[in-house]
Amino acid sequence: MSYSVMKTNEDNEVIYQRTDADGLVRRTCLAHDPEFQSWLSANQSSLPDDIQAKVDDGILTIADAD
Amino acid sequence: MSKAAELAALIGSQTALSNRNLVINGAMQVAQRGTSATVGPNGTGEGYTVVDRFRNSLSGSVVSTFSQSTDAPSGFANSAKIEITTADTSLGGTEFWNLRYSFEGQDLQSIAKGTSDAKALTVSFWVKSNKTGTYTVELQDTDNSRRNSLAYTIDSSDTWEHKSLTYNPDTAGSGFANDNALSLRINFWFVAGADYKSGTFYNGTWAAEDNAKRVHSSQVNLGDTVGNEWYITGVQMELGEQATPFEHRSFGDELAKCQRYYFRINYNGDNNYFAAGGVYTTTAAMAMLPLPVEMRAAPTAIDQSGTAAHYGSWGNGATQVCSAVPAIRGSSSKTTCAIDLTFSSLNSATGTYNYRIVNASGYIGVSAEL
Repeated sequence: MSYSVMKTNEDNEVIYQRTDADGLVRRTCLAHDPEFQSWLSANQSSLPDDIQAKVDDGILTIADAD
Repeated sequence: MSKAAELAALIGSQTALSNRNLVINGAMQVAQRGTSATVGPNGTGEGYTVVDRFRNSLSGSVVSTFSQSTDAPSGFANSAKIEITTADTSLGGTEFWNLRYSFEGQDLQSIAKGTSDAKALTVSFWVKSNKTGTYTVELQDTDNSRRNSLAYTIDSSDTWEHKSLTYNPDTAGSGFANDNALSLRINFWFVAGADYKSGTFYNGTWAAEDNAKRVHSSQVNLGDTVGNEWYITGVQMELGEQATPFEHRSFGDELAKCQRYYFRINYNGDNNYFAAGGVYTTTAAMAMLPLPVEMRAAPTAIDQSGTAAHYGSWGNGATQVCSAVPAIRGSSSKTTCAIDLTFSSLNSATGTYNYRIVNASGYIGVSAEL
């Protein structure tokens, strides 16, 4: 499974989506969702390009790993 | 000491007579998300997937099935079960796997942590495995970056055993923050590479975070053989140095407590309306889902079946199915979850619509987990 950027909504919020191994998107989340942050922390050396772009732009912050 | 004297001592000591157990769903009764899931390799299946409030955290090549089981000791109906399906006999140094429970700081104020009045904590549980040997249970104070671990032994294969571990009071550091954020975790360890057990084991002494001290040097590798199983239920954490009998709560009580962190609404027949809301345009709508319990915080995620056509609308005399999966909005609150719904073309760009789950596989899950 992997996360990607789903969309930016009418309130200018970036919504992220988790795509499972079967190709289905079963989870959508906000940037500070703990499970998304855990995934970001574990995969921060090889993030998908669209996610990395949000990090580089300062739109998405990766919390400290625990 | 007589039993009566023991009880009197207990009443006068640190343990409350009710609401002793700080753990929610310790009897593994509630499993809103499902009853079985694959965990591993690496981060696959990490997070909350089966029994509420208990989540897997892992990195490595071991793969397992995590499930809610009906195999349980006398007095319990359920347990959480892990069964290894892909083994790893040669662990890398950073490989790890544990089952976690997370607490809000405001629920831990009675511990008086970080003061001269700090209380001991006792964690007790029923456990069963066909992999005998030494295991580790860690307490992780995330507010003060301090940890403490103790080991327990599974003595007999395939036999339910009751374990009790008492952690000394921690008078150092600051107290737990009195808020709704994460302050403390219990971590039940299954797999630990050398990086987690090469130092001097905490062994009951609270100290600053040091990965090398977290796990007992003799910790078994539960993931070394396909078919290894590990069950747990009756998880209780209470103040004081003595484990008291597990505090059973009704299913309704446990469910409501779990819904503070996660709420799922499932398909329940053809007229399964889950929310009302408005439309922005003929393709974009927003549903406002009322939550049955005030959540810990405004939701940060929703999950659903992954198929857009499992969701739809009724309004202006017509029904339609969605053209994209429902998505969370940030304008949610602790009592209402705002959900974006997308359609190819509604019959109006104004007015109120009712939104529903139209397929037996559909569901909406709302998460405000720690």
